[in-house]
Parts: sequence; C-alpha cells; structure tokens
Amino acid sequence: MGERTALNDSLANSHMDRSTLNVEEGNPVHRRKFLQLAASAAAAGPLLSACGSSSGSSSGGGNGPVTLTISTWSMATTPEFKALFDAFHKAYPNITIKPVDILAADYSTKVKVMLSGGDSTDIITMKNTTDYGQFAERGQLRDISSLAAGSTASSLQGLSSFNMNDKYYALPYRQDFWALFYNKKLFDAAGKPYPTNMTWDEYAALAESLTSGSGGSKVYGTYHHTWRSVVQAISAAQTGGDLIGGKYEFFTDQYNTALGIQDAGATLDYGTATTEKTGYQAMIETGKAAMLPMGTWLIGTLLADKKSGATDIDWSMAPMPQRPGAGGITTFGSPTAFSINSRAQNVDAAEKFIEFATGPQGAAIVAGIGIVPALLDDDTRKVYFGLDGMPADSGFQQAFKPDKVVLEMPVSDKSSQIDTILTAEHTLVMTKQKSIAGGIAEMDSRVQTEVE
Amino acid sequence: MTDLITAPPGSPSVLARPKPRRRRSHGWRNALIGWSFILPNLIGFVAITLVPVIAMFALSFTSWDGYNPPSWVGLKNFRRLFQDDASMTALRNTVYYAVGYVPLTMLAALGLALLLNRKMRGVAFFRAVAFFPYITSLVAVAIVWNMLFNPQFGPVNQFLGWFGVHGPGWTTSTTWAMPAVIVTSVWRDMGYYMILFLAGLQAIPKELYEAAEVDGTNAWQRFRAVTVPGLRPTTFLVLILLTVQAFKVFDLIFVMTQGGPGEATLVLAQQIYQTGIVDGEYGYASAISVLLFSLVLVLTLVQFWFNGRRERK
Amino acid sequence: MTTTALERRPTPRHVRRVIGRTLLYVLLILAAAAILLPFAWMVSAGLKRNNDVFTIPVQWIPHNVQWRNFVDIWSQIPMTTYLRNTVFLSTVITSLQVLTGSFAAYGFAKVRFRGRDTLFVLYIATIALPWQAYMVPQYIMMVKAGLTGTFLSLILIQAFGAFGVFLMRQYYLTIPDELCEAARLDGLSEYGIWARIILPLSKPALASLALLTFVNTWNDYMGPFIYLTDNDHWTIQLGLQSFIGEFNADYAMMMTGSVLSVIPILVIFLFGQRYFIRGIATSGMKG
Repeated sequence: MGERTALNDSLANSHMDRSTLNVEEGNPVHRRKFLQLAASAAAAGPLLSACGSSSGSSSGGGNGPVTLTISTWSMATTPEFKALFDAFHKAYPNITIKPVDILAADYSTKVKVMLSGGDSTDIITMKNTTDYGQFAERGQLRDISSLAAGSTASSLQGLSSFNMNDKYYALPYRQDFWALFYNKKLFDAAGKPYPTNMTWDEYAALAESLTSGSGGSKVYGTYHHTWRSVVQAISAAQTGGDLIGGKYEFFTDQYNTALGIQDAGATLDYGTATTEKTGYQAMIETGKAAMLPMGTWLIGTLLADKKSGATDIDWSMAPMPQRPGAGGITTFGSPTAFSINSRAQNVDAAEKFIEFATGPQGAAIVAGIGIVPALLDDDTRKVYFGLDGMPADSGFQQAFKPDKVVLEMPVSDKSSQIDTILTAEHTLVMTKQKSIAGGIAEMDSRVQTEVE
Repeated sequence: MTDLITAPPGSPSVLARPKPRRRRSHGWRNALIGWSFILPNLIGFVAITLVPVIAMFALSFTSWDGYNPPSWVGLKNFRRLFQDDASMTALRNTVYYAVGYVPLTMLAALGLALLLNRKMRGVAFFRAVAFFPYITSLVAVAIVWNMLFNPQFGPVNQFLGWFGVHGPGWTTSTTWAMPAVIVTSVWRDMGYYMILFLAGLQAIPKELYEAAEVDGTNAWQRFRAVTVPGLRPTTFLVLILLTVQAFKVFDLIFVMTQGGPGEATLVLAQQIYQTGIVDGEYGYASAISVLLFSLVLVLTLVQFWFNGRRERK
Repeated sequence: MTTTALERRPTPRHVRRVIGRTLLYVLLILAAAAILLPFAWMVSAGLKRNNDVFTIPVQWIPHNVQWRNFVDIWSQIPMTTYLRNTVFLSTVITSLQVLTGSFAAYGFAKVRFRGRDTLFVLYIATIALPWQAYMVPQYIMMVKAGLTGTFLSLILIQAFGAFGVFLMRQYYLTIPDELCEAARLDGLSEYGIWARIILPLSKPALASLALLTFVNTWNDYMGPFIYLTDNDHWTIQLGLQSFIGEFNADYAMMMTGSVLSVIPILVIFLFGQRYFIRGIATSGMKG
C-alpha cells in the first residue's frame, strides 16, 4: 500500500543539505598534525587515494566499448531506468550501462556513504534536491553547466532548482508536481460535478459533502497524507512564503483549512493515519477517499494497478485548489535528476547519457511509461495523454498545465535542519498538541535560534 | 532491582580478584597465555571496530562533511551540543527510555526464564513463543503495536475504557509516546534476554537446591539463597547489555514513531544519524557519540564497581 | 484400611498439583496468544492482496486468501540466492563469533594478568556506540582495504564483536576455579583446560551465543545494505526491503517473505533450546 515507509518517509523528507561548519582560522600546526595522524587511518582516507580516477574524461569518447555505471533505486519497481538504459544502449551500442542498484528506502544513506568512500560510479541519480545541494557543495559532482546551456536543456522544467551559484551539477529528467486526484464513481454517486478550479473553502465544503458512512465502511471526502508538504509546501507555493525564512505565519490559513477538514471528519484524522501507516494509494484505489491531493507520480501507479487488476477505480485529476483571488494555478513539485560523479571514469559517455535521457528521446521514453518528464512540451504531452488508460477528459489535460510550479523545499545549507524542525512541529499541530499559532511561534523561534 | 545484583558472600565472583600468590610467580607467563587467548578476537576487534571508533573521537574536534579534509574546531562541537535543544531533548529522552526499559526488561526476562526453566510438556513451544517477538519483522511489530495503541479503535484504550479510564493518545501524544515505545521494546526484547538467563540457570548446581530443600526452606528462600547468587554473573551481563542497548536504541523507535510526535521519542542514536549521515555534519555527530560513549562508560564502570564491592562485603 | 489411608493422603496434594498445572497452562497459553499477535498479523498480511493489508478495522482473517503469494515470491525476487547468501553469512559469522569469543573469554575469566580488566571494560564500552556513529570512517577504511562489496567485509565487521566475549566470560565465571586448578595439577595446559574442561561445561552458554548471533546476523539489514552492492550478494532482509519502492510498497509480499525468513530461525531455535535443560531441570524453581 502505501508509498514511502516510515524509514523512507523520514529519509526522503529530511535530507536537506548541510554545508560544513565555519572553520576556525589560524589553527596551531601541531593540532592539525595530530588530527591528520588520528584521522588519516580512516577519516581522511579518500583524499589520499583520490587521484587514481581523476583522469576519466579521456575515455568513453572513443570507439572502444565503454561500461557506464549509474546508480539507481529499486530498478525492479522503477521502470523508467530500464527503459532509458535500453534505449540508450540501442542508440550508442558501444556503451553498456551497468546499474548500481540500491534499495529505494535508504538510497540516500547508501549514496552518501559510498561517495564518502570515494566511490567512482559514473552517474549519480539525484532522488531529491536536498541531497543534490550537499553533494554539489562538497565537490562530489561534476560541473555540467555546458550541458545545461543546451537548447533543449534550458527548457527543462525544474532546471532552475539545480542552479547553485550559476552552476549546474545535475539535469532533471522527470518533474513531478502536485494535483488533486479524484474518484469519479464517488462523485457520481453523490451527484456532484467533477472538481475543476476550486478555492480551498470550496474544496473543504466539497470534501465534507462527499463524506458518508461510518466505522469500517466510512468513505472520506478526501485524504490528506501525513507529510508536512501537504500543508506547508502548498501554502508556501501559493502565498509566496519562504520555507527557510524563519517566519511561518503564512501557514496559518492552510492549517486552518486542513484542521477544519479533519474536524469535520472529511479526512482520516492525522493520528490514525500515522499510527496505522495508512497508504494514500490504497485510500484512493479502494474507494475509501473521494479526493486525494498528491504528486503526479501516482499516475503511473494507478495505470499499472488498473492494468494488473489490483484496482478498478475510475479516476481523473484536477488542479490543486487555490487561495481566493489567485490568478492561475500554482502548485509545488520536485524534480529528479542525473549528475556526474566528480570521480567518474567515463565522463564523455556519462555526458552523452545525460543529454540523451533529458532530451526529447529520453522524455518520450519516460512519458511512455506514465511518468512526467522534465521536458514537458507538446510532443511529450501527446505521448503522455495517449497512454492506455489515461483519463481523456479535458479537465485532466488542463490540470497538466499548472501556471507555476514551485520547488517543494528550497536548496540551501539550512534546509535539512529546518526540515527536521518543521516536521516535528507539523505533527504536533496536526495531532492538536499545539495550537496553530503556538506551533507556528515554535517553528519561528526554533528555526531562528537552533539553525546555525 | 538492586536485589537482583545483590548476593550473599561466597557467591561466584564477577570481577575475580587476582590471588597474589599466583600472580607474582607467573606474572609474565600468565600474561603471555592470557594474551594468546584474547588475540584472535582482539586483532579483529581493534582493526575493524576500535580504529574507526578512535577516528570518530578525533572527528568530534573537527568540522567534517564526510568528504573534504576535516578541519580542527576544538571544543566547538561540544559547546554547541550543550546549547542544542534537540540534542538535549534526545539525551533526556534516552535517559527516560533507559530508566523504563532496563528494569522492566530485566524483570520480564527473568520471570520468563524462571517460568520456562522446567520439564513440562510443550516447554520448547513456549520458549519459542517468548522469542518470537524478537524475530518478527520490525515493520510488523511497529504496525501492530501502533494499532493496539490507537487512541480511538485500539484495544488498549478499549480495555482501559472498561474500567472507566479514558485512555491517552499513546503514540500520538507527546506525554504517552515514550511509555508506549518502552512497552513495545520490553515486549520485543524480553525473549532475547530470557535466552541468556536460561543459559545462566543451567550453571547453578542442582545439589545446591537439593541441599536447601533438605534444610526445609521454602521456594522464595531458595530463590534468594541459591538462584540469585548463582545467577549473579548472568544478571550482571544482562544488566550491562540492557543499559548499552537502551542507550543506543534506534530501529524500533524510528520505525514506530520516527522520533515523534514532535521530538517526544527522539533519542541520541537517531540524533547522531540525523546530524551525521542525513545533515552531513559528521564532526557534530561524533561529539554526540562521544557524549553517549562517556555516559555508558561511566554507567558501566559504576556497575562494575558496585558489583565488585558487593562481592567483597 | 491401609490402602484407603494411602489413597486418601495424597489426594489433596495431587488435586492441587493438577490445578496448579492447569492454571499455569492457561496462563501460558493466554500470554502466548498475546505475544504472538503481531506475528499473526504478519501471517495474515502475507496472505492478502496488497490493497487489503491496511484496513480499518483490522481484518485478521483475510477475505480473499492469497496462498499464491508464497509461491509467487520465489519468482518475484531471487529468494533462493538470497537464502543461500544469508545462510552462508550467518553460519560463518556465528562460527567465528562463538570460536573467538569463547576463546578470548577464557583469557578474560580464568587467566590473570595485568591490564586484563581495563581491556575488558574497553571492549564493553564500544558495544555502546550505535553503528551510525562510526559507520562512515569504518566504510572508508574498508574501501581502502578493497573489501567493500564482498562477503568478507561483512564477516570481518560482525564476527569479532565484544558481545560473545562478554557473554562467555560471564558464564565461565560461574565455573569454579578449583576445576581449572585441579586440571593444571594434572598437567593440562591452559589450552587443554579450555578445550577439555571449560567448553564441554558451557554448552548452554555456547548455544545461547550461537543462537543470538545467528538471529542477529540473519535479521541484519543495515550492514549488508551498506557493504553488499551486487544483487547476487544480497541477503533475505535486503530482498524483503526491495518490496518497498520509491512511491509504493508491497507490504503483502514483504510479510510473505518475512514469514518465510522466520522459519529457518525457528528450526535453529528449537534445536538450540534443548541445551537449556540440564542442571536443575525439575527440582527447585517452583517459586
């Protein structure tokens, strides 16, 4: 069911980038020496052995066969990797791709440890922007600004998220954003028209009117998953609030909406959802919830599950509800990207792969398996909408053109620590152990004092 | 609790005092023999565990991102540690957890071992059952206990309701999440330590019980006079292991509550993981580790000293 | 007359004994049921379709029993390979831990020399550190030794723990020193005493050490996850985690696999627990 597990959840939500602490200047030499001695046995290891693989750029461009290594997560359940690799090998027969497959749940941990050990896997796939910030800042990734300047690359959705001091160390190939999924049958049964552009108040009223039944057979009007982004990221995107700014008053309206829906019983309450490890996918697929705000990655899952017979849901997607008076559709999203290890052995081949995967061919392949490519132009939209089982209504296609997609969490050296604090306070507000104002005051003061 | 590690004089020694007679004459020879026994394990231990641990100590005085050369920052990490609310919360929570977990697991494990240390039909089955929680998938454990503790539908609160008690929110409450986590941990680990107690019980000579019975003692007197002293080394082992285990607890809590709600169940090991591997501040994480290490070292030494003193009395 | 007296006298005692036994069994069976609840959930979830795993309220008996999960899992993931790797690792690590642990414990318990107790405390104190604390330095060291990605790295990391030394030392302390003295007078070397006197006497402790080490290795996830990369090297726990994808997880299959992975441990347990039945057995211990 579910989605990310507990472990996954907290890893995925709390990996934000931390740069090094300030270094005190003018250390006495003997201290440094002691340090070197004590730490060189283990800690400083990779630095000493770093040189062996630095001359990689010469290989891979020639005619000889090249084996390109790429880090992936859970290949068996992440179809885009195999599809991209196969197509690339067809286009470049002399380059063979060897995936370094890592379990999705702890991908971030393993990649961090691997890179600390001086690993030379050519391409490191960026599961989220926070890890990206850390890796780039430490110099573990290769500058690929020249690739980012290419004509197609510059039109990639979410590319700007990877801008670090006007340099790019990764290019996105996939860009998920948030929208409102809904179950058509439950709307039909309640005699309600399918949702289109709504304000949050209209959404809350709709959720309440779609709620029916009680106990084990209760059907909820909507389901809000337990991630803090469900409240915080959308509120930041739509109010223009800064998630790393240390002032969080802009959350107030969104928390009022979320708690109002919860109090009305129109969504599963937060406490139950966390303790029962409720899966959002099952909530929508089994008809327990009529609506579900979620990322577009769910589309691929829904298509696959309908195909395999795991669910018979008749679904579609509407834009996220907006604040009153908002012009256009604003939502948030998170890109996934490829980057080159600074210790890569086959730089030329790696660049070829990234160009391919983020270019039109790659985008068509990614779209072809139900995933939103970062290169979202009319061509790829056509491929995407033409997929078997994709809803054909115009509302769906409209939901696919949000006017503005804001990055889920800004890339910064403080993001990781702030994320931890915001998550902790989010659980307290949602379980009503703190008032909205109290929780926000705590977020403000903790972010301002604890984050260095 | 204290009773379990108290023993009357003459019980087997834990930190056996050297007998001067032998030590003087054969000092160097004994040392040679002693080291020859220890070396095979020691070499592996030093090379694989001790060296990285020493590196970790050194790193606690540095700022290190896990990749570029560490730079010396002196005591900065430690100053930050004592001003960091999250780390101090983690420290308090860890102590809270240990205070609940250690005695309860000890009693439960000892109780189980005594109950299942007899010849009876099906004893193998019941022993296996007691051990089952330890081998059940962590995910399943977390899910089921969260269900049991569910504030609305959970059996725990339903049970309390029969007595007119309005049950708390357990894992969704900052006050009750820690007790809930402790109960789950005790439940999970009691079978593990039962195994150690069962092994320990086999070492007590049958004759001692027979002699005590001839003396007309009752079961409780026999427990005090024979079982408790005979189990002393095992009890000491379990006590230290439990303390150590309690201070480095991570997996179960992380899967069950992720340290929440808020920071109600955030423990030191999770804080080390969070600041080190997740945030990439290995220097600071190492400083927390050093704090954890020192704490457990002091506790261990106190337990050793206490144990040794009991003996000499 | 005499027969009646003989028959009458034991009766109350006999009745009390039967009642006591019955009560004990009722108590044990109730406790067993309570303790097994999460395991029951695991089995039940393993027999469901994934979307039926989490329902409110809990569905203890699946409506739609999926026995085929237990067949499908063998083809969905390379279970046989994972099983073989796990058995190999657990066996080697357990053997090494028991062997070096019990050997070193003799040095700590029965041979007296300077610095012994300090070294011992150092041993114990390092058990207190969570692995996350020194994981990265250790990994870097292993990279430099060229061992990452091999079984050997994992064996080295887990085989020389202090746990076994501690456990065995505590047990040896309960064995009277007089036994060793007598053996020394008979001309046995210290190694001979260890092999011929101490080891045979410490079967319960050896059994418990072997059992606990085996279980811990079998269920370890983080160690193999960090050190083993090639799918051919994966262990069962990694295989089970592979049911958790980026956005969705197949908890039903994961539980199916968990049930399967418990079975070998159970066999080892039932075999090993026989060693906990010497010494006092029936006498005493009724308190």
